Amino acid sequence: MMLFRLAIRNISRNRRRSIMTASLVAVGALALLMFGAFTTYIFAGLETGLVQRGGHLAVYRSGYFLFGPGNPAAYGIDDYQSVMRDINSDPVLHDMINVITPTQAVVGIAGNFNGGASASKTFFGIGLVGTDQEKMRQWNEHGASRPYVPDNRLSDPAASRGLIGRGVARMLGLCGALHVPNCPVPPPPVEAAGNAPALDPALADLAQSEQGTQSASGTAPQIDLLSATANGAPNIVSLEVAGVDTQPVKELDDNYVAMPLALAQQLVYGRGEHKVTGIVLQLHRTEDVPVARARLLALIAEWKLPLEVRDFRELNPFFVQVVALFSLIFLFLALIMVMIVLFAVVNTMTMNVLERTAEIGTVRAMGVRRASIRRLFLAEGAVLGALGASLGVVVAFIAIALVNHSGLQWTPPGNTDPIPFQLAWPTRPVLLLGTWLGLVLVATLATLPPANRAARSRIVDALRHV
Amino acid sequence: MSEAATTPVVRLDHIARTYRVGSVMIPAVRDITLEIQPRVFSVIVGPSGSGKTTLLNMIGCIDVPDSGGVEIRGEDVLRLSDNALADFRARTIGYVFQAFNLIPVLSAFENVEYPLLLLNVPAAERRRRTLAMLEAVGLAAQAKQRPNELSGGQKQRVAIARALVKEPALVLADEPTANLDSVTGASITALMRRMQEEFHTSFIFCTHDPRLMAEADQTFSIRDGMLV
Repeated sequence: MMLFRLAIRNISRNRRRSIMTASLVAVGALALLMFGAFTTYIFAGLETGLVQRGGHLAVYRSGYFLFGPGNPAAYGIDDYQSVMRDINSDPVLHDMINVITPTQAVVGIAGNFNGGASASKTFFGIGLVGTDQEKMRQWNEHGASRPYVPDNRLSDPAASRGLIGRGVARMLGLCGALHVPNCPVPPPPVEAAGNAPALDPALADLAQSEQGTQSASGTAPQIDLLSATANGAPNIVSLEVAGVDTQPVKELDDNYVAMPLALAQQLVYGRGEHKVTGIVLQLHRTEDVPVARARLLALIAEWKLPLEVRDFRELNPFFVQVVALFSLIFLFLALIMVMIVLFAVVNTMTMNVLERTAEIGTVRAMGVRRASIRRLFLAEGAVLGALGASLGVVVAFIAIALVNHSGLQWTPPGNTDPIPFQLAWPTRPVLLLGTWLGLVLVATLATLPPANRAARSRIVDALRHV
Repeated sequence: MSEAATTPVVRLDHIARTYRVGSVMIPAVRDITLEIQPRVFSVIVGPSGSGKTTLLNMIGCIDVPDSGGVEIRGEDVLRLSDNALADFRARTIGYVFQAFNLIPVLSAFENVEYPLLLLNVPAAERRRRTLAMLEAVGLAAQAKQRPNELSGGQKQRVAIARALVKEPALVLADEPTANLDSVTGASITALMRRMQEEFHTSFIFCTHDPRLMAEADQTFSIRDGMLV
């Protein structure tokens, strides 16, 4: 108690110097907490976007993750409804699962032959259960996205309605029909080029006949989707385009087609057994992912099914890369702050020791041990660090509140529309306590060299010091 | 008479101390042997540079001789470890410095209390003894004041109280009146004499002050590092 009382009084001797040093520590804390808050917000925003669209975990047929996207029809999960039912009824998983839903990947060629148009392009499609997707889009564990307003485009009961990427709409010349703003009309085709993907005449006829069988009573434009079935036979379906669902990555946006699961299954499996390529699980909490994954793997092994489980980090390497990048930047920033604090505290404490040399000699002559001298100066460094770090925490919280109420907007990576610029409250213990304790520790350790010098000084020399 | 009362409080046996200044060796103390009996008011006198302070430092266990032996209250202090020596100083020796050397961030009360903290004296006992000592030196009213709020004489009184509060066997004072005016110096001299008699402590001074010399029970004259 006396130690810290003395330490506090000693650092208040030269107030200006102590305030400057504590302020530098505070700046360190402020910078680390603000950047930590920013990265926390980025991670939460990215994770939310990915989990809303793709869930936390996906169950695939073994080998699908590496080889399936090129030929999804070959990697269908047999009797997927039973598998889903068994997963959902598992006592461990049941309480963790928010949504469990099947998906069917499909690749092929999309064409627009309405009103004399003749545009086609390759697509990567996904067959979904719309109501499940609507529920998934409402997931917001971290409060990092705007509340989702269901637009029923995905859960439209019409079995042949779906969404396409903005790029797909642009290339198929559907921007006008879909009222997509800032969407240019494609230039007229160059006849001589002959490289544009075009439907085989026989398939175009098939498309025309399919069109003839589809209801054209709605106002939604219609496109034709061509793919190969699991048996290798060509198949084609028509899709009424309910709207555009812009994807965050251009390559994906230029190929994205979302359709009802039944339509995708019809396209891929025709009259054969309807399977799915994936069973997506969205959990209530991301922290349950390891447990849920382990449980799924155990169940799959128990059921002896040829399935594999992937989590959203594996499915989205971009997320892992962003986390790694920001973590590296945070580490770099932390190192800079540590160096600044280190030099500031060393400088201040060295001057303190120098100015108090005679006093050190006095108390040593009175019977204070060397270790006690060292402890006193270390305590002064710790108090300086604690004062600065505490000040930094307070200022950081005020600054974050100001930023969050400033009305700033931005479009973070992985998002398609601007959202309010928010900083997450740095309440995670690893960030808040880590920063505070880290800076106090750095300030304390920075005091060690001058404290050792003070402890080692000879009493008679110290007493003679002017 | 008890053994403690008859054992010399200080016994120096042929001690010598040489300082190196650059490449020059300067003998500060040369072959000094002396004994100081308990409860006496001793003075070491001599011209500047004669080795008074070096001798006092070795008696006070804050410097060690190059050769010879030092016993304080019968304890061979040269055999003690650094920590043991610090503890020995804390128990046995009180210091009064020429420049007072009070701790500026502590009040008069806390400065006097400080040596008792080093001895782990219980809080209530510390308070009682500190207040009694401040009363004895006439500074009870200034207990809460910090050194920068005290006059030179008051500071030296606090320093005397600090040196005596732990009831040491030995109080060492290096030119305790040199920084004081003559009136204040005289009152401090009288105070120290009174305290020495009251607490039965041995006082050893280095001084040029004739008033202090006049008060001495025992005087050691030193010149060129040797007793004369």
